[in-house]
Amino acid sequence: MLSNPLLEARNLSFSINQNKLFHGLSFELLYGEALHIKGGNGSGKTTLLKILLGITSPRKGHIKWVDNTNTVYLGHKNVLKDYLSVEDNLYLHGINSAKTSTKSILKELNLLNKIDVLVGNLSYGQKKKLALVRVLLNQSEVIVLDEPCVGLDDKTRAYIVDFLNAELSKNKSVIYTSHIPIEINSKKINIDKE
Amino acid sequence: MTDLLKIESFKLRKKLRAWLGPILIFLLIMISFPLTVELASDELKNVFYSILWLSSLLTVMVSLDSIFLEDFDDGTLEHYLILNNSLFSMILIKIFIYWLLIGIPISILGTFFSISTSGDFSSFYIAFPSMLISSYIFINLFALGNSLSLNKGSALGALITMPLLFPVLILLGKIVLNANFGFEISNLLLLMLGVLLIIIVIIPFIISFVVKTHLE
Repeated sequence: MLSNPLLEARNLSFSINQNKLFHGLSFELLYGEALHIKGGNGSGKTTLLKILLGITSPRKGHIKWVDNTNTVYLGHKNVLKDYLSVEDNLYLHGINSAKTSTKSILKELNLLNKIDVLVGNLSYGQKKKLALVRVLLNQSEVIVLDEPCVGLDDKTRAYIVDFLNAELSKNKSVIYTSHIPIEINSKKINIDKE
Repeated sequence: MTDLLKIESFKLRKKLRAWLGPILIFLLIMISFPLTVELASDELKNVFYSILWLSSLLTVMVSLDSIFLEDFDDGTLEHYLILNNSLFSMILIKIFIYWLLIGIPISILGTFFSISTSGDFSSFYIAFPSMLISSYIFINLFALGNSLSLNKGSALGALITMPLLFPVLILLGKIVLNANFGFEISNLLLLMLGVLLIIIVIIPFIISFVVKTHLE
């Protein structure tokens, strides 16, 4: 089973109002592999991620995932409620902030002392870190990240890279877009128009 | 499903202005209405139910202003769609929670005002069931309107919903008319319940498609 591709994408095309974002895109993703989707601003990286996640349908082509694949996604939106505390936001995602594993990650990301603070009062970077906690604690087979390092300090970036490398070594797969270089061994596809 | 119920009720409970504010608006209308008109007690009884239905309609409209907008803006809807491949259960539960936290309290308050205005406990049998059922229908319809106008302003949502509300308001008027003439109202209440049972399933289904289109 592990030798079969986890994801197969064939001839994917997408356009908005006659503007072709990408055309005839084909690739596969194996277990334990990382895929870096590259491209300039507005080239359709986020759209491609949404197509892979099943939120958006491609204009042409098809995608085949191995059945019952669990995916965790962190996009531009943080899935956080500003009017709730850090603890309450974690609860919404089924995360118990009293657990040792959660506390350890929160401590690592300098968020443990912010547990009772309203998310609306956190900085952009702190919100991003909190959103990442959901990804870090998730047990999904595939991690999909859209610009995960934007707004993060060097220490947190290094922590994320270590985490992703550790997940890859556990045969999990990662799909990501990033303008900031991330030091993980990954397959690259460039969707910029030629 | 139970987890979803807990999460959605937790979210709404924590956002006081989303549910307590509309209830207070309802209360304000019901208290201030008799003070602002010079009607004899008997005349007041005649127009009371019209005010009751309209204030519950307005309360629901105000409370559902951003029922999906917040979850749309912060990525919750997207997140839920990825996890579950469908938004149906989330929307069904969300509407139910709104009814639980807003529809039921205004039904109880409306019934209380109905009894106190008429001075007759039998008005409980008109006001309470009709308020319970109609508020759930109103919530479903306004949720549909807001999903259609997601990201385009709630005024458009209200405008879209208005024509769908008229049959319900006519039915509510008929209930009061029948009750005033001493006719049976249970058949009309059952009709409204039947409409609700259809709406409960169909509307969340339509909304889930509409919201998915917005997410695309």
